[in-house]
Amino acid sequence: MTQRYEFDHAGEFLEQLRRLVGEGTPKSNIWVRTPYHLPEVEQLLIGDRPGRMRFFPLAGGLGGFLGGLALTTYTVLSWPIISGGKPIVSWPPFLLIGYLLTILFGSVVSLAGFLLLARLPSPPGLREGEEFSERFIIAVGDWEATWKRPD
Amino acid sequence: MADIETPRPIEQDVLAAMSRPSLFYLAAVAGCALLFTGGLSLWAYQVWFGLGVAGINNPIGWGVYITNFVFWVGIAHSGTLISAVLYLFRARFRTSFNRAAEAMTIFSLMVAGLFPLIHLGRVWVFYYLFPYPSERMIWPNFRSPLVWDVFAVSTYMIVSLVFFYVGMVPDLAITRRRRPGFAGKIYGLLSLGWLGTMRQWRHYSRLYLFLAAFATPLVASVHSIVSWDFAVSIIPGWHTTIFAPYFVAGAILSGSAMVITLMVPMRRMLKLETYLEVDHFESIAKILLFTSLIVTFTYIVEQGLAYYGHNSFESGAFTYRATGHYAGLFWLMVLCNSVLPLTLFFKPLRRSLTWLFILSFFVNVGMWLERFVIIVSSLAHDFDPYAWGTYRPTLVEAGITAGSFGLFFLLFLLFVKLLPVLSMTELKEHEK
Amino acid sequence: METARLKAFGVYGLLLVVVIFLALFEYVGLTANRGALLVVLVFWTGLAQGCIAVVAITDLTNARWAGLWKRELLAIHPLLVLSILLFLLALFRLDLYPWTHETTAWLNPGFFVGRNLAALVAVYIAARRFIRSTLAEAGTKKRDAVIYLFLFVISQTLVAYDWVMSLAYPWISTLFGPFFFVEATYAGLGLSGFVAFFTYRKKLAAHPDRAPALLKDLATLMFGFSILWGGLFFAQFLLIWYGNLPEEVHYIYQRVNGFPFAQMSVGYLMMVFGVPFVVLLSRHTKRSPGVIGAVGMVMLAGLFIERLLMIWPETTLHPGLAAMQTVLVGGFWLLTIHLRDEILPGEKSGKTDGG
Repeated sequence: MTQRYEFDHAGEFLEQLRRLVGEGTPKSNIWVRTPYHLPEVEQLLIGDRPGRMRFFPLAGGLGGFLGGLALTTYTVLSWPIISGGKPIVSWPPFLLIGYLLTILFGSVVSLAGFLLLARLPSPPGLREGEEFSERFIIAVGDWEATWKRPD
Repeated sequence: MADIETPRPIEQDVLAAMSRPSLFYLAAVAGCALLFTGGLSLWAYQVWFGLGVAGINNPIGWGVYITNFVFWVGIAHSGTLISAVLYLFRARFRTSFNRAAEAMTIFSLMVAGLFPLIHLGRVWVFYYLFPYPSERMIWPNFRSPLVWDVFAVSTYMIVSLVFFYVGMVPDLAITRRRRPGFAGKIYGLLSLGWLGTMRQWRHYSRLYLFLAAFATPLVASVHSIVSWDFAVSIIPGWHTTIFAPYFVAGAILSGSAMVITLMVPMRRMLKLETYLEVDHFESIAKILLFTSLIVTFTYIVEQGLAYYGHNSFESGAFTYRATGHYAGLFWLMVLCNSVLPLTLFFKPLRRSLTWLFILSFFVNVGMWLERFVIIVSSLAHDFDPYAWGTYRPTLVEAGITAGSFGLFFLLFLLFVKLLPVLSMTELKEHEK
Repeated sequence: METARLKAFGVYGLLLVVVIFLALFEYVGLTANRGALLVVLVFWTGLAQGCIAVVAITDLTNARWAGLWKRELLAIHPLLVLSILLFLLALFRLDLYPWTHETTAWLNPGFFVGRNLAALVAVYIAARRFIRSTLAEAGTKKRDAVIYLFLFVISQTLVAYDWVMSLAYPWISTLFGPFFFVEATYAGLGLSGFVAFFTYRKKLAAHPDRAPALLKDLATLMFGFSILWGGLFFAQFLLIWYGNLPEEVHYIYQRVNGFPFAQMSVGYLMMVFGVPFVVLLSRHTKRSPGVIGAVGMVMLAGLFIERLLMIWPETTLHPGLAAMQTVLVGGFWLLTIHLRDEILPGEKSGKTDGG
């Protein structure tokens, strides 16, 4: 049996959510939609777990840095030309390229990780005729009730 | 039955900005488009007849094109400062500016990216700059600051685009909802079907924080790298270690001025007075004043240290800057960048949008002149007196410069009509 | 109240005693080496001015974290008097500077002493004014913060170009000035970390809701400044490396070759950039007062080594003497923290845990 609650304000929404959790409704059965980010929701439904998102920037950043160093060092050793009297493997510029690629790959991999973890693009949001309320919605039992009014 | 409840005032105001364009708007678009197509045709003319139609020659091989490149890259930095750095510092006044500021970043980077291509002459070989495995088995010279520029500006472009887009996703969902029909479908696709579930918000907030953390070092480093285009040389006036923070401060200065130039009219035209308050503009004005002080400090230090040691070339170059062929431009630059912003120490002037708008125009001019003076006067007067010379931009260069401004404002005007110009979601979040 | 006055008087009296001891160490002929006093002077001037600058900046930006440790940080102000006295003392070593033999318009003993003394005294006066208005939360707090920061920048710029860079005359690096005032602020943050560690339990008891978040803010700021410092260092190094001009490169060459300079240069880079950056990357370390305090200390030690490295190759100083003198001043600083309620101007608050 699906219950659905709609609120216009965050305060009432959070109260109802706390009530539901307090009553013992299984957290995996509670689906929620909000117009903006409310950290209290995560606190209530998930707790203190930091989330898997943070591995992506770390992996991307590290990969970018090492990749940058590898690219520059490999290319300069594959055709070693002395330019400007600098050593063949000159670390200041190579460090710079590595640093730039850290940021580039860190960001892009984070984006990819986000899309993966948030399961986007999400078809229900693309479908014609759905109501997307700017209200705070709690649905118990059926997650589709967060974006579809039960008949 | 679909039951779309009445939209909140924030949404109404922002989406009203995206409604049918006024005559004035269309005239502005036409003007900018004209400037842009003019510039484009002059570029075509240059590609056909060769780079000789530009005024750059021996000894001044870098002129207005490089000035424009540095100018537009500099402007981009303020946008990222407002959207990323101020986010990390949890500055509240950022929310009404950040969408437009990020858009400004993207567009100025687009314009900036054109200039290395224009300056190349043989545009069709631009791809040589990227590290790809070529048949001839040669790679770009990673020890060259020009290649660092390629990486820096590309990274900045991509990261800014990602940041801009990610920040817009929830707003695109709102826009999709309020615009039925074909337009709505496009916004829906762009919003990736965003629903605002807890899982989505959870990961979104982390992503936004990481992107802000990644974009922040870019604010300082990209323009430092651009400054090293000059500083790694050994020319007096260029080879000086202070260039990195000097250019970054100058970038924020010109960027804040451009933010004011864009926002003051935008606020009036789109009737967004409730969201873009005078307090917010005052905060931008404070950033402008602060960076202007840093730039003034650097002018004094550079000029002073030129006479400090036994280096007659350095002292000669700086004397030339203040008294030589480009002295008029130099002193105009000092007036616009160092003297006029001092008026912002007075609170009534800081809070007067009219004065801020006027001042921002002067600062933009001053910062463009600063890049011109640094580049041209140092090249005009380096070591060997026999190699000294002068440079005058030709009509082609002037026209392409005007075209770049046309392109920038055209892109911004299009943005204002097509995408939500304020960050509705963040404003809702902070209005509680 | 009389004991408070006596204690304040005592602190300044002790300051004089410290100065006399430092003079004795340097001039009485313990060693034939000269220049240790200069290192101590440069290091502590930067640190003292930087601590107050940190409070001024946080007042201007309405950041709340320094409010918790404001009194501890501002208690360092007697060391501004120390820097004035030490500067006067160090004038006997003016012949360490190569330009004393062929003076220029900017670099001649009279002007040198005059402008630097004026800057130091002005900073001291502005600091007292600022401390008074910030502790009383007066309306002029922000204006006084701006004035102090303005004079701080000028003074640190002069320290950089006059006291340190002109030792290697005619070597120039235009970044030296900004580098020094950024380093001074960074040093102030490092000391804040150290102070935060020692006072954390009391602060946590007084402000259980705010203290952890504010500690994390401090750690994030230290992390950010380590990156800023690294960036500025790289900016200077890259350009000197790239230009490869003999008149510039010899400065670096002197400092990366031979024992102990080569080891010192790698060492201080690790300590000032490497350690804070790597350690403060994780969320967990940012919440731990012990780690933050340790990182602050390591960073400050690294900065001291950097000052040594800047000055030592141009002089014949004995590093052990410099270290001894620094420890002496450090001991005095600990005393100022302990007696902060007595020496800070304005209302003496009963609480010693500020906020």
